Amino acid sequence: MATQLNLSDSDSSDLSDQSVFTRRSNRSLRIAEQERRKKEEEDPFVLALKYFSEVEAGTPATGNDELENNLVRVEKVAFSRGLSPEAISVMLDFAMSLRMGSSPCARVLKCLLPASVVPQEAVVRAIVWLTVRKLPISTQVLFMKWVLTVFDMIDAKDKLRAIYGFIFSFVTDENLCPFICHLLYLLTRKENVRVFRVRKLLEQQSKLGRQPYLLYLLSLYKVFCPELVTLSIPSRMKSGFKNHISPWKSALIAVQKRNDMQVASSISLAFAVRDKTASRKRKHAHLDLPSLNPVTIKEPQAAQSSSRKLVPMQQIQSFAQLLQNMHRIELPAQMGSLLGSSLALQYLDCVQDESALLRLNFWLGYTLHEEFLFCSDGGANKNPEEALQFLNRLLSVQHFLQEGFNSSDAFMYKFLNVWDGSLLRPQILGLLSNIPVIPSSQIKTLLFDPLMQLFFTSSLFFKCGLIECLNHMLLKWLTWHSAYALEDDLDISLNSHTSINITLSGFKDSVMELVHFVGRLASVGLQLEDCHSLLLSFILDFYETVCDTFLKFGLPLVVMPPPGVFYPAFFAADPVSVDRLAFIMHRYKVNLTSAKRQEKVTEGFHISRQTFREFNRYQVFLVNCLWNSNMCYPEADVRLSDELLAKSGVPQFSTRFDLIHHPAFVSYALDFHHKCWPGRKDTDLNSIKQSKPWNWYLEYLFTQGFDGLKDFVQNSINQRVMMAGDGCDNVTQSQKLGSAPHIKQPLLS
Amino acid sequence: MKPDMFYSRGLQLSKIKVFVAAIMAPGFHFDRWFCLFRKSWSDDHTLLISKEKVKPEHLELLVKTEWQLSYVTPLYQFRHTQLKSYSRQLSAFIAAEKQEGLAVEVGGLQNTFKVSFSVLQGLAETSDDPETVLIQVPMFARQEDPPKTVWCGWLSCINGNPEYLQSLPKDFTCLPLFCSKGAEDLSSLVKSWLQRTFDCCFGPLDINQTTLQWLAALWTNCHMETNIQNLKMIWTLPVLPPLQVTYTVDSDDVLDLWRSTRESSAEKSREAEDEVCIDFSEVTRFMQGLMSHFYRHFRVDLSAGELNQVSSALGSAKVNGKIKISSSRYLISIFSLLTECALLKMPI
Repeated sequence: MATQLNLSDSDSSDLSDQSVFTRRSNRSLRIAEQERRKKEEEDPFVLALKYFSEVEAGTPATGNDELENNLVRVEKVAFSRGLSPEAISVMLDFAMSLRMGSSPCARVLKCLLPASVVPQEAVVRAIVWLTVRKLPISTQVLFMKWVLTVFDMIDAKDKLRAIYGFIFSFVTDENLCPFICHLLYLLTRKENVRVFRVRKLLEQQSKLGRQPYLLYLLSLYKVFCPELVTLSIPSRMKSGFKNHISPWKSALIAVQKRNDMQVASSISLAFAVRDKTASRKRKHAHLDLPSLNPVTIKEPQAAQSSSRKLVPMQQIQSFAQLLQNMHRIELPAQMGSLLGSSLALQYLDCVQDESALLRLNFWLGYTLHEEFLFCSDGGANKNPEEALQFLNRLLSVQHFLQEGFNSSDAFMYKFLNVWDGSLLRPQILGLLSNIPVIPSSQIKTLLFDPLMQLFFTSSLFFKCGLIECLNHMLLKWLTWHSAYALEDDLDISLNSHTSINITLSGFKDSVMELVHFVGRLASVGLQLEDCHSLLLSFILDFYETVCDTFLKFGLPLVVMPPPGVFYPAFFAADPVSVDRLAFIMHRYKVNLTSAKRQEKVTEGFHISRQTFREFNRYQVFLVNCLWNSNMCYPEADVRLSDELLAKSGVPQFSTRFDLIHHPAFVSYALDFHHKCWPGRKDTDLNSIKQSKPWNWYLEYLFTQGFDGLKDFVQNSINQRVMMAGDGCDNVTQSQKLGSAPHIKQPLLS
Repeated sequence: MKPDMFYSRGLQLSKIKVFVAAIMAPGFHFDRWFCLFRKSWSDDHTLLISKEKVKPEHLELLVKTEWQLSYVTPLYQFRHTQLKSYSRQLSAFIAAEKQEGLAVEVGGLQNTFKVSFSVLQGLAETSDDPETVLIQVPMFARQEDPPKTVWCGWLSCINGNPEYLQSLPKDFTCLPLFCSKGAEDLSSLVKSWLQRTFDCCFGPLDINQTTLQWLAALWTNCHMETNIQNLKMIWTLPVLPPLQVTYTVDSDDVLDLWRSTRESSAEKSREAEDEVCIDFSEVTRFMQGLMSHFYRHFRVDLSAGELNQVSSALGSAKVNGKIKISSSRYLISIFSLLTECALLKMPI
């Protein structure tokens, strides 16, 4: 084999090149290489290599000046630039074949610093030379260390794997065993794990005692074939093989740096076989994720044919590997372990295996129950930190998968009954908002009853949090609907690929129940909290979702806010709330108008008349108050006896909530007044009501960012009427625009 | 691209969901147990047949031992036909754990250390119940002939809720009740092996107040056939320092009380005379009778405390999930009751 390699003869060198570079045979590169070589024909380094490849067996080494000179030359190149694959091949062959005895061997090995890659044939040949057994033990060890050091630089591993059994036979050698185990660890594939090898290793174990290297190799065997071998790695045992200390490391890094090569992630040894047996820290470690272990007991019929091809999840280290093996990944023994790895989650996302998900659900449900409901060892109260981490992980998993788990939903229904509203609030509310659509028959007992109790007995911040959470829940339900509803068949089960087989009308009922429920909570909550603007803001967030159910999510349902929400929002002292209310009313109008159009086209499409009536009532009220300065019109919802109003001593009480006098806007009105009539001493806000200043005032308000108001005014107030007001400056605007007909046509016919 | 939303997995878990809802309904418990009483008491045939079905050596093992109870979520890919392979695996696993840092060949210990897996036939009551599985672990690293069992445990399902059992996919075997005796470390080793192998979870199963009261009533009722000697109850009262009350009632007296409780309700439902029906309200009244008797004598209201233990000649049960049954006669009914308790703990 070695004699084939002859550098001077270009033909045979070509041959050897081919064999060396089967993998990376790049023609142009090779040609360039040859040209370079021709130029360097007289290079002393090339001559030195030629010497080593041609030297006769049995040439004495001691006192051989030629050898010394050539060796120095090679060393010089090796330590400065590193050796080319061919040079490595030649030198390794020279050393391992012991052509000049064993004395120069170690020296040669020490200078084998690859410049780029190591040809695997050279390594294979060298391993074959090992069997000759003439090498001193220290040299054998040195060689093994060298192989391990440059392992990542070996250009291909297929031939090395092909001689797995051959390499394995060295484990009986006490001196080489640690290194052989390491090498085998790097080479082992599932098909290499066989009973006789396991037995051999166990035999070695009984001979040599508990050696980490044997254990590590066996633990890899266990990953592939847990049905053959089992073991437990003591916690005190450090992970990884300890064969790293090698004489090449620093020199190699230096060479690589000089060659501007990316420093190879020197001997990367992903050591992932370690598994902890029942953590000894806590008695019941529910919150520990199980580790990714392969299945021990295979289905008997499957074991023969297909299991050989299956890849345990644990072996998947990168996304590329995941994609390659997608069709033959073996799920781990414990599904709970998937939550611990993002790669596994990617896979879980594609798995449509009912059993797998049920297993995951059993584990998750068990963990949540034990930790938060049964509390067998103090539960979440005792280890809030762990509980927090666990729930955060669960939340991020749900976020990643964009869906919840049955078991965590079932848990939530129970937990809400015992929750104090403060324990891990953000996490619990997060889980709550992931709950999928609940049929309207069960929604009250499962959700509303416990939440009602919590809501009315908790702080303002909890109330805000809960409203926000319910808003998220509603958004998710609506999004779910818009993604899965089949547009043509309005009343057919949403989709067969989800488990929630709910009819459209059932879904509408649930959504309506939820919206009404939040309406009730909001009405009472606002009273309890004195119409706190923070709470109001969360409530308006909710209604911003609600008002767009038809247009944004295609759900033929419009639910108006209850008076308990509408009026507090309107009477709020901050302009933002009023502006948002105006925006919401605007969106309601747009939704209702287009729903009405749809009603004419689609049969069976129906929006309750009551909704239109409610909308009209609110709309009339808004226009009358803000625009017509007439709060006390006969059909108004909010009515106070005239005597009481007279008693209050407020002048012109009916105009108090128009755009000028509304407490939310009065400061804007004043500011506008100053700007409009800078000279005026006495402020008369009513003068804004004249048509020109009125229009300017509106413009001014719109420039202040009240877009909701702008939308509302532009779409709901009859512009024609405003024009009509133009000519009669003496008459107050309120009289002019004093009645409902000035609203654009009411929607309900 | 995936829409930003949440939908549920393609699971057909509707049946399981129903069960969850049922568990949450307050009446659920008692209806089931009431059926169970009826079954085992009125219909002695069932009982006798199962007694004959169970091998005498197994019966001997089951009675007169104090069992520690746990509940287990359904086992994935458990096969009653693979017990030999499980035995090899578990032997190797225990051996590897006992000698950390020493790898063990699976199946390589046949002669020295062998965990036994066997089917304990005759305990399953309905066709839905999977057969009980018995696991016995001998002393490790000591060769005795015959090997002495130092740990023993069994997984069972007796009269399990058929609705729940049928709702599980066929890959799952539901053996929700796990009883064990022996060293704690072996228990946790066996559990952790079962957990890893069948992807199941173990949780402690306590015998709650309600169950203890049922057991008290059940054992009292047995006095009609077998002498139970005394009914002993241990209560703890939340006072400082904590007060423990051991309340022992003569069996004849307690049976009288139970009969009087029964009679009043028996009149009410005369039409159902042929069936022995026990309602939970009867048990409650029975317990109230016992408590008010105690109050009359000692002015201590036991209802403020907790019932921790109930015992009689037929067995004893403790709130922390330890139960000992001394007579094989009512074995099935008691384990049916415990199976029910274990199923109530199922997360889904």
